[in-house]
This record gives sequence, structure tokens and C-alpha cells, in this order.
Amino acid sequence: MCEWCFKHGDGGKWYNNARLYRNELADEYNAGEYLEEQWKNMETLFIRKIMGFNSIGLGYKMQMPIIGRLIRKVVEGQIHSEKENRNPVRADGHFGQVLPLEDAQHIMGNLAAEPIIKNYCVCRWMQRGVKDAVCINFGQLSEVIEKHTRYIPEGVKYRLDREEAIQALQEQNEKGYVASVWFQPVPYINAICSCESPECGGLRLRNDFNLKTVYKGEYLIDIDIDKCEGCKSCVRMCQFNALRYLPSVKRVIVDLDKCFGCGVCRHACKHDALNLVPRESIPGQAGKY
Amino acid sequence: MTKKTSIKLDYSKCHTGASTDPRECRKCLFVCDPAVFLMHPTLEKHPDPHNPEIWRVDAIWLSKCTGCMKCVEVCPEKAITVKPGDSLAIIRGF
Repeated sequence: MCEWCFKHGDGGKWYNNARLYRNELADEYNAGEYLEEQWKNMETLFIRKIMGFNSIGLGYKMQMPIIGRLIRKVVEGQIHSEKENRNPVRADGHFGQVLPLEDAQHIMGNLAAEPIIKNYCVCRWMQRGVKDAVCINFGQLSEVIEKHTRYIPEGVKYRLDREEAIQALQEQNEKGYVASVWFQPVPYINAICSCESPECGGLRLRNDFNLKTVYKGEYLIDIDIDKCEGCKSCVRMCQFNALRYLPSVKRVIVDLDKCFGCGVCRHACKHDALNLVPRESIPGQAGKY
Repeated sequence: MTKKTSIKLDYSKCHTGASTDPRECRKCLFVCDPAVFLMHPTLEKHPDPHNPEIWRVDAIWLSKCTGCMKCVEVCPEKAITVKPGDSLAIIRGF
């Protein structure tokens, strides 16, 4: 379990804590007001100046010795912020974690507050120019997003019941999208995204600049080398370049340092060779999120 | 010394009302494998997202540009100039 579980898990994983989905908790943290401001102009997030810096050429800025360290401290501090007066347009306290389909479906079935909606992924629209209605939002966030029609898919039923949300996550995960769960703001949970790298804003900062805006999952993939027949089907599913096929041994290998434990590769395996194991069960990876 | 990539968009060519509206066009976003571009409303005052005038495309993740020049080729308005430099991966020693 990561530090969020210790702080907000009440004895379990943070995202399995029913308390963090409640309306009362949202009100306590003025989430409605925060979300209203955040979603009004969500697409401007990366061009806004934060302490004099915006994200243009962020990779170059992060390479500068002192400034790079400062940016890391500021950005991670904002994303992890639990302070009062958090700034919504900078996405303060908008932290997330990758999770496998089963955990995401458990949330939709049992924990998520209604109403539940699906809307266009903002990241994919502003970075790739495609409209893809894969973001599942719930609780007070749904009512905020509904007011902004550009995020709402046209001509389809976008309000979902629990069964429809579970089914939507299933289809998106099988396509190869990575499920992730988000505080908005900490500790109120109201979104499960189906992310794609490199467009996803969170995964972009994590994968390209090693900013801990998104944590890796609570699991890791385990390849049963007796069952792997080397069909390579799983390799194309991985968003994190963690899987590779080796011709010499005719099987797939995994780089656990790159594996986010999303479990998406399992959909491609016809030989039951891929299984998720708890991150804590692998000594070299325990506690490394 | 790091040689930074420079990507400039000529907004006299790429703008709403030009023969190709950037929000309708989106060709540079689609063609860029590392997704360097960002389409966003401008920051002036309180932009109204329903007003098409305030949307524009910017190159954001310059250090992820690999210098393939596909955006330059695909732009119908010839509005993009790229001066390729060292990408983040190159700087890190790949």
C-alpha cells in the first residue's frame, strides 16, 4: 500500500475506501466549487504559468540543475497538495493511480456516487485532436461536466447506470486503454479514466519527466514461463514498453521497473500465462510506486 | 550545451477564419507521434470556450519532438517551422 492508503485508506487501499466517494466529504472540501473552476477551462492547464514557469519545453527546464529540482518540488507538491485554498486551475490535489480492470469495476459497482457519466477525454482531444468518450466521472463532478457541453458525447446516452459503466470499462480496457482512478481534489474520488500514452496529461508527466503525478498500480504482471508460447500478442497491448519478445527463448520478458500493473496485457493472452501479483510480494518492487 | 528544439506556429496563417480552422483541421495533432502539440483556449481574461476565436494550437512538449518534420509537411497553411534540436532521450544518452 502507498502513502495515500495509510493517510486515507482506513485500513485498505485508498480507492477502496467508501468514505472518499461520499457527497458529505465532497461538501466538506468544497469540491463542487473547485471542480467548477477546474473544468471551465481545463485545456489551459499546461500553458498556465506556475511560479513563472509553464509547461512549454518542460523537459528542457527539468534538465537544468537548480530550476529542474525546483520545478519537481513545486509540481509534485501541487498535485499531492492537501492544503486549504488549493488552486483548481493548476489542478492542485488532482492525484491519480493506475489500477487493474477488476478494481475499477469494483469501484463502479459498489463505491462510485451517482450520477455516473461518460465524457470525452480532455487529454486526447487537446493533444491528439480526437473525441473519445471514455472518461467515467461520477458524484459531484458529473454535474459540473454536464454544464460544459463540449465534453459531452453527442447523440449517445452519456448518463450510465452501474452495469453500463462496468461494461464500458471492460470494453475500453480490452481495447488497450489503461484504467486510472483520480482524486479531484484529495481526498474526494470522482473519476476513472481510460488512459492512453503519450496523450494522457498525468502519464505524460510521469513517463516522460518522471514526475510522480500518477502512481503505478498496486500490482505487477507475472509471466508464467511454462505457459507462455511466445505468440507476442501481449506486447502490442503494453502502453509502458514493459513487455518484449525474445526470439532466443521464444517467450515474452517483462521489465518490472516499467510495469504499471494495469493488467491490460492479460486481455491478449490466450494461454493464461499473464497474471497480476501484488506489488508488495516482489521484494525489489515493494513500496515503489 | 543542449540544443533545444524550436517549433514556431505562424498565427497569421493558422487561425479561426483562415481557409482552415485549426479546430477543424487538427492535422498536426493527429500526425505527431509523440503528441507534442496542444490545442487550447487562450489565457486572456476569462476565455469563453464557445467562442471559436480563442482556440489555438501550440507546440508544448518540445523536448519530446524527434524532428520527423511530418507536421511541417501536413500543415495545409504552411504555418509550422521546426528547427530540430536534441530530444530529451538524446540528452539522457540514448
